Amino acid sequence: MTLFAQQIVNGLALGGIYALIALGYTMVFGIIELINFAHGDVYTLGTFFSLAILGLLGATGELHGPFLIVAVVVTVVLAMLLSGLVGVIIERLAYRPLRNAPRLAPLITAIGVSFILQNLMIYWHGPSPLPFPQILPNPSFAVGPVQIAAKQVFVVVLAVVLMIVLQLFVTRTKLGSAMRATAQDRDAARLMGIDVNTTIALTFFIGSALAGAAGFVSGAYYGTTWFFNGFAAGLKAFTAAVLGGIGNIAGAMLGGFAIGLVESLTTQLLSDQWSNIVVFGLLVVVLIVRPSGLLGATLPTKA
Amino acid sequence: MRSIRPGSALPTALVLVIALAACSSPASAPAGNTIKIGIDLPLSGADAAVGQPIDNGAILAVEQANAAGFDGGTFKVDADSLDDTTQGLHDPAQGAQNVKTLIGDPAVLAIVGPYNSNVAKSEIPLTNDAGLAQISPATTADGLTIGAPAKTLRQSHPDAIAFFRTCTRDSEQGAALAHFAQSLHVKRVFIVDDNETYGLDLADAFAASAAADGLSVLGHEHLASHQQDFKALLTKIAAAKPDIVFFGGVSSTGGALLRRQMPDAGLGSVPFFGGDGIASDEFIKTAGNAANGTYWTIAAPDVNKLPSAQAFVAAYRKRFNAEPLGYSAAAYTAVMIELAAIKKGIGADGSLPSRATVLANVAATTGFASPIGTVGFDANGDTTAPVLTLQNVKGGKVVTVGVYTVR
Amino acid sequence: MSKRVRGFGFLALAAILPLVVRDGGFVNFLTDAGAYVLLALGLNIVVGFAGLLDLGYAAFFAIGSYAYAMLASPQFGIHIPFWIMLFLASGIAAVFGIVLGAPTLRLRGDYLAIVTLGFGEIVPQTFLNLPQWTGGPNGLGTLDQPVFFGYRFGFNVLPYYYVMLALIVFAVFVARNLRDSRTGRAWIAIREDELAAKHVGINTTTTKLAAFALGASFSGLAGVAYGAKLGLVSPDQFQFNVSVAILSMLVLGGMGNITGVILGSILISSLDRLLLPQASNLIFALTHVHVDLSNSRFLIYGAILVLTMLFRPEGLLPNRRRRAELRAGTAEALP
Repeated sequence: MTLFAQQIVNGLALGGIYALIALGYTMVFGIIELINFAHGDVYTLGTFFSLAILGLLGATGELHGPFLIVAVVVTVVLAMLLSGLVGVIIERLAYRPLRNAPRLAPLITAIGVSFILQNLMIYWHGPSPLPFPQILPNPSFAVGPVQIAAKQVFVVVLAVVLMIVLQLFVTRTKLGSAMRATAQDRDAARLMGIDVNTTIALTFFIGSALAGAAGFVSGAYYGTTWFFNGFAAGLKAFTAAVLGGIGNIAGAMLGGFAIGLVESLTTQLLSDQWSNIVVFGLLVVVLIVRPSGLLGATLPTKA
Repeated sequence: MRSIRPGSALPTALVLVIALAACSSPASAPAGNTIKIGIDLPLSGADAAVGQPIDNGAILAVEQANAAGFDGGTFKVDADSLDDTTQGLHDPAQGAQNVKTLIGDPAVLAIVGPYNSNVAKSEIPLTNDAGLAQISPATTADGLTIGAPAKTLRQSHPDAIAFFRTCTRDSEQGAALAHFAQSLHVKRVFIVDDNETYGLDLADAFAASAAADGLSVLGHEHLASHQQDFKALLTKIAAAKPDIVFFGGVSSTGGALLRRQMPDAGLGSVPFFGGDGIASDEFIKTAGNAANGTYWTIAAPDVNKLPSAQAFVAAYRKRFNAEPLGYSAAAYTAVMIELAAIKKGIGADGSLPSRATVLANVAATTGFASPIGTVGFDANGDTTAPVLTLQNVKGGKVVTVGVYTVR
Repeated sequence: MSKRVRGFGFLALAAILPLVVRDGGFVNFLTDAGAYVLLALGLNIVVGFAGLLDLGYAAFFAIGSYAYAMLASPQFGIHIPFWIMLFLASGIAAVFGIVLGAPTLRLRGDYLAIVTLGFGEIVPQTFLNLPQWTGGPNGLGTLDQPVFFGYRFGFNVLPYYYVMLALIVFAVFVARNLRDSRTGRAWIAIREDELAAKHVGINTTTTKLAAFALGASFSGLAGVAYGAKLGLVSPDQFQFNVSVAILSMLVLGGMGNITGVILGSILISSLDRLLLPQASNLIFALTHVHVDLSNSRFLIYGAILVLTMLFRPEGLLPNRRRRAELRAGTAEALP
């Protein structure tokens, strides 16, 4: 029973990362109905950016106190900014010209962008895994018989906080309602005076920034990174987005944690080597049986 | 608007392709007195950090032979190094193609390589068919030389061997590691492997020996491909309370990452055992602080400790400005054996031996003095004096714990 | 010159090529490229003709190869002759085409693509995880070599080259006839407007399943021929990059256009095995800098996909109807 609870903690931490990545997928799909295949690679870029920033700050080992807070805040903010920028550039160059093309076109383009990003990362840091400085101190807290690591708390808390901020932004601000309006009916939004191009760019910026945050979290949590991380993580995060309800922000959060739990529990109950297959199998099942997801999809009413 | 007429595109493409092919094909007529040693190794991508030093070892032997004048300077020796990677990873299909290229070159009288066991599986049928001597310095899978799998690989001539190796086998690595664990009074082991050819073989070999030595194998898990999060797996392992965790596989397929995450799961003080797949600087770098407390074997001697290797080490350092690996010395030895076999077969009229003669001479090698000790081949093509070096990572540095002569 | 004469001309050229260019490595390259031509022709049926974006086509290649590896090797002691395996494996692959295609019938474009991607991951990983059947990560080796009226193929690549050529001719013949048949027109109809097609009385279910089955059957042929030539099969031969490479061939050459697909396939295979190493040599000759370009393969595939979709989505050899579809929202729809 303790073991089970322990695996749930592991699953939630993993799920927090998936949730952050899933948010980007869900927002982009909700607004232009595109599966941004390159999104997973933006997540990995986020880790690479964080690595570079920490290198510039000279942070190589565990940090404490004010240094820790400064390093984390600076790295997260910069990584988010840079990743968001990458997302905007990709949208502008590769997706916007194809906005009116049949859906096949941008999907294929997205695959191309994904490959390009992966190769650029190979040029940057090589084809093998590399270490990420473990700057977060990691004491464990005992909650009953279960050990919870501080890093795991950090992951979940950061994910939830960012999601709440996002939800507030989308529902309470003018830009946010512009996003929702564009998502619901692009032409009507344009008629209302909303700058659709900028709104879509903003959506990409926010989604990619969240992926960048996930990238930092992943590096700090695992202590390593690799150019190819984005592929599997991206697919699983997409599964999470669909599971929760594509286009639905709360759904992405729910789906993310759910997939994290599925993965850990499969490893515990079955075996590690089947965990990927189970998650991909879940993807297939959800898309076939209930494509609108658990909380219902939020899609444009007018295609 | 402009459009490409279908009629002109296809022939243009074909002509282009043919032209390129014509440019790239090497002149295959051999110069009368050039001997070539073919080499097939992963020279780029993830395995390059090991592949390059091995290649260097072989090249050093060739250069020294030329400098000393092969057969009184009548012949020139050339090393033809081919890369068996595709997309940054060793590729059996590419290895097979490389070997076919080497077989097709009449000047090639013997081959050195490969590094990876699964590449060897695609090459052995070819060299067996062609009767071309092939010595590998580093492929450790058992099924390459012994048992029914090895015989199946020798498709054309099941009872004749053309494949030899100067390194030990995985079963011996696994056994040595199990014995060593036992000597440390380890009782409970948990085994993980990367579900690839080498890793799975090694892990199975260790599991079998551990069981035979009376150790309790608590579990044997295989990793999912491209896995990054090992928390759930490590929690499962921690719950079983093992004395050591054994990893079969290489550093880049999970060895380093797994070790890196062990402290977070409470397994930081549990020793980590593995084979030559994790024996690299890359492992230490990627696993960081967690690398300490790792034990591994390399299927080659520690050249820094072996007296017979000192001349080789000095020459290697001078030529390449870098430290040699144990496998570099093994490759050097392989080339030495092949050159000796060729020299022995040179006819009274000064003609080069046939591949069959070279093969027979290689097979008959015994008591051969080399940097890695006295070497010979048994009836299966395995080395008669296999050496395993057990090493430990302490304070971020590699320390040799012991050297074992296995047979 | 009529198309037919041109076609026979190429065939004759291809037939005498290995006898003229005596480079074994080059003939080997052409044979491997031939396997990819077959795969591209198969994917062309699914993506090009029927408009179903399949991102996991490598799964069918895996099924074809493993079918041969399990039924014509020492693994289970079954040794079905190569020529029969060609039929059998394409049949098995076709069945799996239906099995994996059936769940996707109600899905629209992008979801369909992702599900096929999911299958593309699940199939090789399942083969990997069942070592007692498939040899696990080691795969299966020493597969049977084909025997033709007493002549054993051995390790010489030449007979495999001619078999591959014959298979391609066969595949082109089948693809042409399918394209011009009622099924082919039904595919075009569902590709352009599925709802309208349904209302016109086309059974979209059987039409789509036919696309999956027939497309997969080609990869069965490719799997047998390639597996026999290589002599081994292992799960890492069928990863996502293979599916993307085949898709790139289609996109570059021109989706739906049979000649275009062949062209795209040859170009991308050449890129891989010929152009990139040559480019590295060229750069070295000009600047004396060692640049290993062969690992830039994916950068180039990615760039091809992006640039082609942005500037010439109908590919190098356009199919007029496809061009109109793909440029629907722009002013350049009709030339």
